[in-house]
Amino acid sequence: MSVATPLRVIGSAAPRTDADAKITGAARYTVDIDLPRMLHARTLRSPHPHARLTSVNASRARQYPGVHAVVTRNHLEGLNPTYGYFIKDQPIVAIDKVRYIGDPVAAVAAETERAAVEALALIDVKYEVLPTVGTIAEAMDKQAPDLFESEPMGIVPAYGQGASAEKFPAKNNFYQFRYRTGDAATFAEADHVFEDEFHFSRLQHYHLEPFVAVAAWDHDSLEVWSSCQNPFPLRKELARVFNHPEQNIRVHVPLIGAGYGAKNNCKAEPIAVLLARLSGRPVRHCMTHEENFLTQSQHAAILRLKTGVKADGTFVARQSHILLDSGAYSDASPLVAEKAGYRIPGPYRWRHIDTVCDCIMTNTTPAGPFRGFGGTQTSWASESQIDMIARRLDINPYDIRKQNFLALGEPFVPGESGMDSDLHVGLDIVAEEIGYHKSNRAEGRGIGLAVGFKDSGGVNKPATVQVKATTTGGLIINCGTTEIGQGVTTAFTRIVAEIFNCPVERVRYAPIDTDITPFDQGTNASSALVVMGQALEIASRECLDQVMVFASEQLDCPVADLVLDDWVIKRGDEIHPLQLLIMGYYGGTGFEFVGRGFFKPSTDHRAPLESQCVSWEIGWGAAEVEVDPETGRVDLLKLVVSGDAGRAIHPDVCRGQDEGAAVMAIGQSLFEGMRYRGAVLENIRAVDYRVPLARDLPIQFTSITQEQGHGPGPFGSKGMGEAGILPVASAIANAIEDACGARITSLPITPEKVLSALDNLKGPDET
Amino acid sequence: MSGDTVRTIRFALNGRAVAPTVSTNLVAADLLRDQESMKGLKIGCDQAVCGACTILVDGSPTAACATFSFMLDGTDVRTIEGLSDQGALHPVQQAFRNNSAFQCGYCTPGMIMLAVALLERHPNPSRAEIIEWMSANICRCTGYKMIIEAVEAAAQAVGELS
Ligand code: FES
Ligand code: FES
Repeated sequence: MSVATPLRVIGSAAPRTDADAKITGAARYTVDIDLPRMLHARTLRSPHPHARLTSVNASRARQYPGVHAVVTRNHLEGLNPTYGYFIKDQPIVAIDKVRYIGDPVAAVAAETERAAVEALALIDVKYEVLPTVGTIAEAMDKQAPDLFESEPMGIVPAYGQGASAEKFPAKNNFYQFRYRTGDAATFAEADHVFEDEFHFSRLQHYHLEPFVAVAAWDHDSLEVWSSCQNPFPLRKELARVFNHPEQNIRVHVPLIGAGYGAKNNCKAEPIAVLLARLSGRPVRHCMTHEENFLTQSQHAAILRLKTGVKADGTFVARQSHILLDSGAYSDASPLVAEKAGYRIPGPYRWRHIDTVCDCIMTNTTPAGPFRGFGGTQTSWASESQIDMIARRLDINPYDIRKQNFLALGEPFVPGESGMDSDLHVGLDIVAEEIGYHKSNRAEGRGIGLAVGFKDSGGVNKPATVQVKATTTGGLIINCGTTEIGQGVTTAFTRIVAEIFNCPVERVRYAPIDTDITPFDQGTNASSALVVMGQALEIASRECLDQVMVFASEQLDCPVADLVLDDWVIKRGDEIHPLQLLIMGYYGGTGFEFVGRGFFKPSTDHRAPLESQCVSWEIGWGAAEVEVDPETGRVDLLKLVVSGDAGRAIHPDVCRGQDEGAAVMAIGQSLFEGMRYRGAVLENIRAVDYRVPLARDLPIQFTSITQEQGHGPGPFGSKGMGEAGILPVASAIANAIEDACGARITSLPITPEKVLSALDNLKGPDET
Repeated sequence: MSGDTVRTIRFALNGRAVAPTVSTNLVAADLLRDQESMKGLKIGCDQAVCGACTILVDGSPTAACATFSFMLDGTDVRTIEGLSDQGALHPVQQAFRNNSAFQCGYCTPGMIMLAVALLERHPNPSRAEIIEWMSANICRCTGYKMIIEAVEAAAQAVGELS
């Protein structure tokens, strides 16, 4: 059967499918949901980083004009009032203690936001202030106060070959992940063993649409609109927390004003749901800018690497200990620990790997998923150390990478899937573009390379999808992958159009509604193309098969004689509009063909994470900097990033993912970050927290989308939304050492750090 | 809620005369979104930093989240909804569309209004001027380069029209 002329819409430069809605202001997000009789929620948050709650009295707030409901710890009866991923430790509102500044203590629903804010001031809370831990080191101290006096409920999932984990392995430690392969004695074969420590900073996601949810109860039915990345896990968690049957909870996810990882699992939802239940009215809970900062952040980290290499630069063994600052609640920290621990070897060949990653509790904002998901932390440390080792051995940093890269198709570690990008190709592209091999560097200038690395597609992500074809050739995708800006509606409508050999305008991406949309685990882990995309391809082909078999029966010939072209069946020179065939057979009411697709990598105990990784996401980067030795100022002159889309379904979308991620990383590398003094977040206000602006772009900023064609997604595609953030910080640090000899091992790379590193180089006599 | 005085203000909203009754502390963003249904106007930081809420007041880009409604009295106000209400897209919208100068789209109405204001003042800006001007607003998704290119393309289109 010949179906589609190859690539009718894939790769086309036509606008994204969401373009018209987004450029005209017609696009609707959860913030825009406005229901009749809707109330507005506001949350009272702890001013103390760590305190016991001695009393909470909300009676005056309850009397305040316009107030319809107040939630305190007294309203949690009958609920399972704590939530989390592996560990259920985060309460809807504080029960016995508060554990960070911003921990919710009470919430009010009122006619207006203003009335709600005013009522919060009338809630009387008495605290017994406790000693705090603001940093990883403080939390691990034997004398440190315990954040949790008793262990919250939690699970450790099954792991495969070489991997293991433990919850609450030590004081103020949520979770420890370990991975080991090969024999520790291998270190003896190394000619050199290098030990280095790296510090990673902490960004706030800074999605412009805040955490927001609207909840409404109608008798026993709960309806929720949420700016969330994973509607089905959210439904499951709400069912558990509220002891409510899953079939009576309906979650809608409109367009999402971005998330970068933050909008997984419960955020604004539990308080909205509880207030809606108490008030009997719909409740909107939309957080403020500050509340976003008090709800979720990236993981700061300390990464200690011990790496053994041969004199010729061949990698032998790597041991690592990673400490993630997980904040006050576990959130996704155990999952991030898995990934950070697993990804620290990078895309290189080792004979022994031994890695430990700990989730340390501190009295700070809970850390959670952030674009890169542990891979940003590990790429920073690993790619910095590889350059340091190369320079110590007097080997070119480019050569040492090429010498140790995993080959295309070579398994990452024993039992694992093989690389689905050729690492050499990408490195050569960025090295060429930045002029790496040109010998004459201007004084004070340097060039650095880096290869960011993560697996992609996630684990345990069963994906289901439905594709329907209507009588007139309309195609409707029912799919739980949310449109969060990454362009999934564009990519998926194109894939279906390509398979049905029709213009993309025939294809609609249905709104997400958990009552109707087939199950999906969530829009994360760069999984849209490589996981859901595979299910989509199956569903589309199944639906198409039904259409073609139907046509062959109507025309009484083999399917192989027929070609589908824009809902017209062609047989040689004959033209048979499908609509007429369908009406002829099914009568005037018409018909719908329905294809369903399912994809999940199979369980495999030989794979360390219990199933082989679906795909590998590589971010190649190169930076050129100029360092001013007087001031320590680093000018990023040129930045090149490159990701492998496998096949670019929409080239602009790929480019945008790479560039957006890279610019986030520019901020993290040079200036952006949450600044804690002890347990106090100093730059929480919008005016104080600096994110990159247009003027922060390097004069020369290039992204190059590769289409290597080895991806497991439809048409050879693979995910690339996280790759661009991975290599930037280490490429810049490597460029700085190339420029002036100074090595910076902590982010952000401020002029003060560069100056002090330069001073250290000079030695005691010269300073 | 006590002590708020209420008054009627008059201004042109996307070319149409409106006369809402507002309390003195009602911010323009809430007036426009809630009472005038201009939901294209987005609120991000609510602190006059991100520019998601950018509207044009007498042609000047203005943070609606940090503007009291009464300050709109007697002005000409434009929002994203007013740019294309004759059906045809504004050249800036066209350029954002063709250049995919958005991802989540949350900053996009503000970015487009900011760019419209630039091109009304300087129909032929240099790339450096575009970068400086567009640095007033935050986009966390795109990395800005495609936005800058869209504004360049729009400037060129405007130049060809005039
Ligand atoms: S919402 Fe007005 S400037 Fe951010
Ligand atoms: S497109 Fe998402 S913030 Fe600009």
